[in-house]
Amino acid sequence: MCSRSSKGQGLLYRRAILLIAVPIILWSFPAPAQKLPFLSSLPPLPHNLQIHGFASQSWLMSSDKNNFFGKSSSDGGSFDFREFGLNASMRPVSRLQFSAQMISRTAGKGSPGNIRLDYGFMDYTYFSGEASQLGIRLGRMKTPLGFYNDTRDVPFTRPSILLPQSIYFDRTRKLAIAADGMHLYGEYRSDFGDLSFQGGVVRPLVRGDEAEAAVFGRQLPGHLSPEISYTGRVNYDLDGGRIRFAVSASHLNMGYVPGMVDPVHAGTIRFTPVIFSAQYNAERWSLTTEYALRHLEYNNFVAFKDMNIWGESYYFQGAYRFTPDWEGFVRYDVYLADRSDPHGTKWVAEQPAQRAGQGFSRFAKDITVGIRWNVTPEFMLRAEYHNVNGTGWLSTLDNPNRGDLSQRWDLFTILGSYRF
Amino acid sequence: MIHCSSAGADEGYEIIANPSVAEKTISKSSLRAIFGMRLHAWPDGSAIRVFVLPDDAPLHIAFSKEKLNVFPYQLRLAWDRLVFSGTGQAPDIVNSPEEMLTKVASTPGAIGYLYKSRMDDRVNVLQIK
Repeated sequence: MCSRSSKGQGLLYRRAILLIAVPIILWSFPAPAQKLPFLSSLPPLPHNLQIHGFASQSWLMSSDKNNFFGKSSSDGGSFDFREFGLNASMRPVSRLQFSAQMISRTAGKGSPGNIRLDYGFMDYTYFSGEASQLGIRLGRMKTPLGFYNDTRDVPFTRPSILLPQSIYFDRTRKLAIAADGMHLYGEYRSDFGDLSFQGGVVRPLVRGDEAEAAVFGRQLPGHLSPEISYTGRVNYDLDGGRIRFAVSASHLNMGYVPGMVDPVHAGTIRFTPVIFSAQYNAERWSLTTEYALRHLEYNNFVAFKDMNIWGESYYFQGAYRFTPDWEGFVRYDVYLADRSDPHGTKWVAEQPAQRAGQGFSRFAKDITVGIRWNVTPEFMLRAEYHNVNGTGWLSTLDNPNRGDLSQRWDLFTILGSYRF
Repeated sequence: MIHCSSAGADEGYEIIANPSVAEKTISKSSLRAIFGMRLHAWPDGSAIRVFVLPDDAPLHIAFSKEKLNVFPYQLRLAWDRLVFSGTGQAPDIVNSPEEMLTKVASTPGAIGYLYKSRMDDRVNVLQIK
């Protein structure tokens, strides 16, 4: 019953999103549309349609048997990290915008590269004045988390090839990347800075095997079902963004609907990340830091024990622009799966037979240096080196045998990315 | 109002608007919001159209730093965040001061910036309050 009604709602949501996405996609091909006789009676196309996109390819090489995004520890490294995106937006009147983006992301076994609707929504500005505005968005929106979640798959918006994995690792990505629902947003501008917020009520995107694998670490006979969730972020920008602060929080809920014969019962999962972000931007350098607390609860699955842990993550990052075309950065990034067990000792003690010597899978400390070269405004090349202590954010799909992993390892990666 | 200094644009420049724009003055925070692509309408409700020179154009650099007090890379990142999250659009890029003049002169609601020596009476000057 529960599953049927949620499927019905899911269908409704998908239809609503199609209703928004289809006109955008139609409008993005003005020439053929104008030639079609049955469309010729439509009003002339507005001139403020914009189409943008990007394509990127990376190569990764890692030490030991630690694989990141494909078989990166093999002799030839891994080319299994590719990102493509295409978006269209239009603003038929100044108060109304339609936007949609399709993305394909290949990133090891966890992300096989299928094309999906990344976002698709309508944005209506209810009020817009000299110093403030207030509006609403309906459809599928990116979840506002930290400085980077909204555009985490777009290389040009990231500070590095890989976002700081402590906060932006792939398991939470599936739960927190985007959601269907309603957001309100607003802004207040003054001489003392700009205060803005966005947030609302949503249903997380948890359909599909990928989400299940991300949540449970394997496929199960049943499926996940989204439940009412909340998300929001408040930004404070001083002096046009010279200093930026943000606080974001989400409360994401989902249930599990067991299969026909399923040892796993109808449990619930609650994921509550809170992120504090700060940035200072000077002409040549930028300093960025983010701190995240993640509350993760798994309840009533019976087949495995209830879980209630607080994860903790933070990083410090400095970037320096030698010229407008050359930029370097350094970062120290820390991930703790359970902040009350920073070395994984308690976790090992729970099942010493299976977990002996693997406490390092409960944390990761990553020192990264990297460089970026803007070859042209549209094309950039990047290279970066990671020295990591711990395997906390390595994917179980790319590393099926936990016993193979080494605690101290290195990762080198390069990326080429084109945008328009 | 202090006109451009040594920061890249050797000549004086002004913020220019299409004659359809009723405003003669504008606050700095509104100007930032407009070029940050977060303010989309003039007070009368008509749409704002933003024109900029490429990121590395000396006049764009001077305008960003002197009038908006931001660096061009910050603007670029802010536009990218809007464009790739669907929450906004990018400004229209013109490739020369001549194109800036013709586009702002011919587009209702347009705003841009231009060397004084290249301006004519087809565009209005906007003063910062």
